[in-house]
Amino acid sequence: MNSFRRAVASAFTIAEIEARKVRHDSTELWMRTVQPALWLLIFGTVFNAIRGIAPGGYSYLQYIAPGVLAQSVLFVAIFYGITIVWERDVGLLTKLLSTPSPRISVVVGKTLAAGVRGIFQGIMIFALALIIGVNLRFDPLDVAGVFFVVVLFAMCFASLSMTLASFLRTRDRMMGIGQAITMPLFFASNAIYPVSLMPPILQDISTYNPLSYVVDAMRAMLLTGDYANLPLDILVLLATTVALIACASVLLKKLIE
Amino acid sequence: MMTATIQTTERSAVEEAAIAVEVSGLTKAYSKGLKAVDSISFEVRKGEIFGLLGPNGAGKTTTIKMITTLTRPTSGSVRVFGVDALVSPQEVRQMLGFVPQAISVDGDLTGYENLLVFAKLFYVDRSERNKRIHEALQLFGLADRADDLVKHYSGGMMRRLEIAQALVNRPKLLFLDEPSIGLDPYSRMQVIDHIRQLNRDFGTTILITTHDMAEADELCDRLAIMNLGKIATTGAPRELKKTVGGDIVTVTVRGAWTGSVPPDIGSVVSTENGVLKVLTPDGEKAIPRITDYIEDAGGVVESVSLNRPTLDDVFMKYTKASLQQEGSFTEARSARRSISRHGK
Repeated sequence: MNSFRRAVASAFTIAEIEARKVRHDSTELWMRTVQPALWLLIFGTVFNAIRGIAPGGYSYLQYIAPGVLAQSVLFVAIFYGITIVWERDVGLLTKLLSTPSPRISVVVGKTLAAGVRGIFQGIMIFALALIIGVNLRFDPLDVAGVFFVVVLFAMCFASLSMTLASFLRTRDRMMGIGQAITMPLFFASNAIYPVSLMPPILQDISTYNPLSYVVDAMRAMLLTGDYANLPLDILVLLATTVALIACASVLLKKLIE
Repeated sequence: MMTATIQTTERSAVEEAAIAVEVSGLTKAYSKGLKAVDSISFEVRKGEIFGLLGPNGAGKTTTIKMITTLTRPTSGSVRVFGVDALVSPQEVRQMLGFVPQAISVDGDLTGYENLLVFAKLFYVDRSERNKRIHEALQLFGLADRADDLVKHYSGGMMRRLEIAQALVNRPKLLFLDEPSIGLDPYSRMQVIDHIRQLNRDFGTTILITTHDMAEADELCDRLAIMNLGKIATTGAPRELKKTVGGDIVTVTVRGAWTGSVPPDIGSVVSTENGVLKVLTPDGEKAIPRITDYIEDAGGVVESVSLNRPTLDDVFMKYTKASLQQEGSFTEARSARRSISRHGK
């Protein structure tokens, strides 16, 4: 039990390191809000005006707001593998792994940090939605639920990214894989259009795409209030996250060998 | 009979208590059968500064990585203060501090924060933490820069901060991999002073790897020279220097003189054009006796010089076969790069 408490404490310390860095220089955090803002303000507004896609009687802006949030969290999380490779290159990872803190704390701590960045993205996108008058259900419990999903989702993809880093080992390759994964995941999901509009093959792919479950959960809480799929969404996400964190923790050592 | 047995076990317990690191039959093999470390055994005693020397690629860093549980050995065993590193790696890491070759402080945090987060990762007691951090910053001359981001520090300051981490976490055993590489002479001196201070004031056992033979000679109580994955020799610097021969006294003589010295001073190596070379166990004591002898015999001594064997000679003797000049260049360059990268 004592060792479990220590592992948790260490994970929070690792996350604290990230938080302190952001406090010293938050430029990156603000830059990260530019892309989702463009999706909402330009893409969203234009398609909203066309009224081509209006699923379930919601406006298009209402429809994509949860999708844009999920996408921006995905982008934040998927680059955590680059961070860990960079830390390996400058010797920080060796230093972290030579402390008595367990490997899993390092991984969980990093993913938690990704979650905190995700929450910041969420706040910015909510603020933007309020400003441009997108009507979402801002019920406190729902918002809390959305943040929970955001954190879990960020942890999921940050650990995926760190798992990949153990195999790919260089920053350049991680940049490449980051680009290669994010866009297909985004387009083969229900983030910016309903799955029913996709060709059948893409529909199948979308069933295996964790992003679809995330967007579905967020949409349930922010838009429809229909929680029927919520348990499944969260279960899929939780199971994937636990599996990937385990993978990343076991493989982390490969990076410094 | 009975008492004899008890005595033996007692003695071995005492011996064990005096040993910080016990490495035996340690091997690290990579694929293709290449052995980075080939069945080495050595001991580091409690409270000493132990040097691990050797050319690049000799296996020093791999050895350190295995002791610090960062890499799993292919075979062999490591015990740190009696704890098996393969069985309880976390318990072993709790006793260790590690300063890797590349500067590994976090440039995006302040000096204070660097010490704070690593103290937390080492589970330093909350009530002790701040006191120790401020003490360490004070002692290492970093107090007035404590709240600056480390990326604005000089290379020497970064190194000092890394060693200050050891002062906060109080490891029983501190590993330093090339601690002074890429530093200017003044920073180097400061770093060495601090290492000594840790050893003297806190009883920290220190294991250091270095290419700098003068540094090893001055700092280490005992050392091991590694070559091609094996331990070539171990001993105190003084003993090792004896193995490459004694001191050579060179005397330039003018005037009438037979060209010999009494055998109890030393043996004459050569006499050419009035230059006499004498091999002797202790050069400093031999000099006045040699000059007195020559002047008594009617010669005039013009100049005397003393040449003692250095650790360089020892190093060359045991590693000549595999020494590659190019290697140490790239290593120094990469360390310098790592310092400048943090500085950006």
